[in-house]
Amino acid sequence: MLPIALDSLGGDRAPGEILAGAHQAALEGIPVILVGPAGLEGCGDLPLIEANEFIDMDEDAAQSVRHKKDSTLVRAAEAVRDGKASAMVSAGNTGATMASALLRMGRMKGVKRPAIATAIPVPGSTPTILLDSGANAEVQPEWLVQFAQMGSVYAAHRFGIANPRVGLLSIGEEPTKGSPLVKETHKLLTVAKGINFIGNVEGRDVMTDIVDVVVTDGFTGNVLLKALEGSMRTLINALLEAFSSTPEYQALADALLPALLPLYEKFDPETYGGAMLLGVDGVCIISHGSSSSRAILNALRVGKDLVDSGFVEALRASVAPPA
Amino acid sequence: MPAETHVQQDPLNREAIVEIVRGLLADILGIEPGEISEGQSFIEDLGAASMELIELVDKMEQEFAERSVGFRIADEDLEDLKTVRDAVDYVVDRVSGSN
Repeated sequence: MLPIALDSLGGDRAPGEILAGAHQAALEGIPVILVGPAGLEGCGDLPLIEANEFIDMDEDAAQSVRHKKDSTLVRAAEAVRDGKASAMVSAGNTGATMASALLRMGRMKGVKRPAIATAIPVPGSTPTILLDSGANAEVQPEWLVQFAQMGSVYAAHRFGIANPRVGLLSIGEEPTKGSPLVKETHKLLTVAKGINFIGNVEGRDVMTDIVDVVVTDGFTGNVLLKALEGSMRTLINALLEAFSSTPEYQALADALLPALLPLYEKFDPETYGGAMLLGVDGVCIISHGSSSSRAILNALRVGKDLVDSGFVEALRASVAPPA
Repeated sequence: MPAETHVQQDPLNREAIVEIVRGLLADILGIEPGEISEGQSFIEDLGAASMELIELVDKMEQEFAERSVGFRIADEDLEDLKTVRDAVDYVVDRVSGSN
């Protein structure tokens, strides 16, 4: 396969952790091509696409992509467009990553709006795909139907889920509950072909095994995602504090460690590598800004799996307008 | 532009520019060109988000650079382009008959 283009400068811990993740991936046989400035230290024997500008985390997404044509993000997206890379991964500015992918890789024919799909961990089961988790603050019912369609293809390819169950995020299971947007979308999803729609789901259902794909607008999705991340962090910190509060509890916690560690790993966002921008014409993985080498390694693994499984081709066929 | 790569094209009249802009916008917004009229505003009437507008600017620059070498929409002009007509007029001023 073609190498995966990795933005070497994107992320709070770049380039050190990013390069470390790239080298670990290379050792596993995942082809990686770094995108960064000439003379970047730590490249080792990994190939480099030269890019001498950098888009900072707080820069305006659209303007920076327009002006910084030699930035790592723009060059990474161009590498996919030009057939030099099979996918791109960045832990940099999320908006600029989206803009770079959209403007350089282009939008898939038939896609109304690209959406960000995030894997939400579910104990004892495959993760739930939440989309849109931040690309479109305002949406239309038809776009949500397409998000359901794209999310289903993604769930099938990423986690091997056959006929993924799709839920519409609302404030109650009944079709009559929710905003006008939700009610109208419910009607459309009920009759949509090729989507295994199970009805409305609530926020509490997202981390359970009753649904595989949850669709909502990007504003709500992002609020939900951040609330879940924050809750998980608070809960884990509270547990760790309780465990270490007395020597007796600490000893008991140590005994439980073999059971707790896999759970911790399951809930750690770094396990999933990053979110996927669905609807652009290629694989674009948006990793968390604080990504460690482990997160980057996992993002590169996900990229390779998606390329190997023919995900882009399947998504393209799924959203193509009727001939 | 090197002579060997320059393709001579006929100057565009206003009507042709309107059709090109409507086509680009329709493609981006996933609607039919016939649903777009010159008087409509990008945001209030057509519901375009900032990313769609940047996509439009990018595509217009690519499209019209073929007609007018170096065609570019300046940042300081972007905030004045609120309607389809604004965008068409901007192009007409810079492209029509400029070859």
